Amino acid sequence: MKLKKIQFRKSMKFLTLLLTSMIIATASAAMYYSLTMASTVEVYAANVVFWVGTDSGTKGLVVILNGANTTATLTGLRAYPNATFTYTDPVRVKNKGGTTAQLRLSPDVNPSANADDFEYVKFLLNATTSGDRKWLNYTSNGVSWTSPTGSTSWTTTGITGGSSWPIVVYTKARPAGVSGQTVTIVIKVDVD
Amino acid sequence: MSETILPELFALLSTDLFLLLSLLTCLLEERFPKAIPYVYQIAALAGFGHLLVSKEFLTTFSEYMRFWYSFFYLIVALANIIAINVYLGVSKKLWTLSKAWSGAVTFPTIAISVFFAVNYGYTQGAQFPLLLLQVGLVASLLVMGLSISALLLRSDLLNKLRRRR
Repeated sequence: MKLKKIQFRKSMKFLTLLLTSMIIATASAAMYYSLTMASTVEVYAANVVFWVGTDSGTKGLVVILNGANTTATLTGLRAYPNATFTYTDPVRVKNKGGTTAQLRLSPDVNPSANADDFEYVKFLLNATTSGDRKWLNYTSNGVSWTSPTGSTSWTTTGITGGSSWPIVVYTKARPAGVSGQTVTIVIKVDVD
Repeated sequence: MSETILPELFALLSTDLFLLLSLLTCLLEERFPKAIPYVYQIAALAGFGHLLVSKEFLTTFSEYMRFWYSFFYLIVALANIIAINVYLGVSKKLWTLSKAWSGAVTFPTIAISVFFAVNYGYTQGAQFPLLLLQVGLVASLLVMGLSISALLLRSDLLNKLRRRR
């Protein structure tokens, strides 16, 4: 009888310890697993990149891409007084991947200087289908610049794998625009 | 990019070793002080705390630091295994059980730990001194194992002396 009591007590103690051990072991393993998840973020090469368009080297335009083709710097873009000047293919957005990528144009650094010299600078993501085309317009009233604030023009549009779309640039200077004045605009191409 | 071993693996391994010790000392409760299984459960909980801290401060702590505090915890766990081995053999004079313990617990756990430590050292390249790691592991195990067993023996001797008085 006494022996049975001891055995029962030992069994209960062992079972309790086993149960707590299982809880601790599971929680620790889950914690380690979450650590491995936190530390296995892999860097992939971007599938959507910039590509130099056919307008580069013409109309004063110089397009410089970085090594990974993830930033494009356009210099020498011209704007003529009272006339719309168009760069139909200065730089392209290319989807190198095999699947469709969602992208959009969005403002980054807005123009702040020389509003009295320019009428507008407009960017058009010239998708193959007209319904997918997206605008990003910067206009000036002669005193200050109006930058895109609404999200309607920032909505994403799908670019199929292997396709490339030009970003068309429209410029126009005010009739009284002073020659040599410049404005800097930075826009982003967001990719989902 | 292949998935590498994180230094917290040593903390996870140590936690499991402490849990193993807790269960084994519970099964052999007649040979150990009653509180020992619970002490090992608390030690295992400390291992869980280790992992928790590592997760929360993952971006703050460097990998070098995370490695050393996880590795030290592993040394403590292995030293306890050796200490129990010595305690069973020297203090309790249970030679058969001591031999079984060394064959079933001490040797496999040390072998697994050394394997992971060496593997970790190789995957991290020259970042960790590999020879120092192995020598340090063995030396630490010996020193800590002997210290803990001496501690257990001393308490046992004290008990014997008290009984004689």
